[in-house]
Amino acid sequence: MKKFFFLSVLVTTCLLSGTPAPAQDWTSVKEAYRNIRSVKADFFQKRFLQILTKPLVSEGKLFFNTPDSLRWEYLSPLRNVMLQKGNTIQVYNLIEGKWKPEITQAVEARRMVLAEISQWFQGRFNESKTFKQDYSPGPPARITMVPGEGINKFIQRIEIVLSKRPGVIDRVEIEEPGGSRTLIEFRNVEINSSFSPEVFEKP
Amino acid sequence: MIWRKSLGICFLGFLILSAGCVPISKTTLSPGSPEDLPRCYAIFPTEPWESVHKIEATFRRGGSFSLLGVTKGEPSERRFESLLLTPEGFILFDAEFRDGEMAVRKAVAPFDSPAFAGGLMEDVSLLFLPPRVRPAGWEKKTDGMMICTWEGPEDSDTEIKGSMESGWRILRRDKYREVIKEVLLKGPFVNGLASHVELRTSEPASYTLRMTLVQQSP
Repeated sequence: MKKFFFLSVLVTTCLLSGTPAPAQDWTSVKEAYRNIRSVKADFFQKRFLQILTKPLVSEGKLFFNTPDSLRWEYLSPLRNVMLQKGNTIQVYNLIEGKWKPEITQAVEARRMVLAEISQWFQGRFNESKTFKQDYSPGPPARITMVPGEGINKFIQRIEIVLSKRPGVIDRVEIEEPGGSRTLIEFRNVEINSSFSPEVFEKP
Repeated sequence: MIWRKSLGICFLGFLILSAGCVPISKTTLSPGSPEDLPRCYAIFPTEPWESVHKIEATFRRGGSFSLLGVTKGEPSERRFESLLLTPEGFILFDAEFRDGEMAVRKAVAPFDSPAFAGGLMEDVSLLFLPPRVRPAGWEKKTDGMMICTWEGPEDSDTEIKGSMESGWRILRRDKYREVIKEVLLKGPFVNGLASHVELRTSEPASYTLRMTLVQQSP
């Protein structure tokens, strides 16, 4: 369950990269967010663990189409992809050169979480029962998300730092209880570009 | 179609199990030259280390997963910490092994059984920590290959064979002389850690782990 909340956070924060210039107020940000039809982006993830001197670095790609099609794919060091199309969720790992369904997936848990994400996709942040948001105009502009009871055992705080470039974020930092954290940078963000629907169907 | 797939998986599992259970004759050695003895420990870290591996696991009963494995060890204290993480970086398993004792700090299903924890710690120990005792025998071949054997508890034994150039093989046999774990270590070796590791085990569960070194320090 925790894993999928984490994923939902990653996706949502990337989608927020389509928000307008940081100078705008929180209501305007949410309003502009509703104009997003699709997102394509590269992501670079650094996972800081207390036992590791150097962070664990991953990278991948994200595709999203409203209202509920998503592809979140890690390209290195592991090859893993999560596909969502409507209520159907599939997770695959590339093992020995072949895509194989993940055996550990909790489909029901994913469905619950993705329902939560869908609210965010549509700018219905206030309807979230999981996170409370606080927008700060900066500079740099930032959105702080604090989880409620239960999820705060896994995620302590999420900080989304917006870029000066309108519609783009610089980075996202996810803090966990115990000191571990994850830093994600988004690059090559394309808003409302078109791509094949097959990206949500096939690994 | 499903039946064919299931049969395929069963067949694959059978092959893996079969490979793991092939009795490999035990090498009987006596203590060799003292200057060759340190080579018996060439594949084990001698200094504190941190490593991250990409792990592909395939189970005999079907199913597979791909995760990241993080290990931090202190050889002089026979201590290490081991974590399994999802691609997103979430910790599914976190345990510490200290001088034969194991403390599981976190375990998420399906990695939350004591059997899994014990098996994982045994595998990590086999890969990174030499047996406690001095080898019962060792020999350096004329081609530079090294063979070392250790006697273990309950008539088990461990054998390592190979060289840094050609790679190494670790065999652990039970009291019936059947190989219950087999490890292939392939270079290049980075600070003593193999870049590629393949571990096949037949007991108590049958599975294969293919590990690729992603990062290490120091």
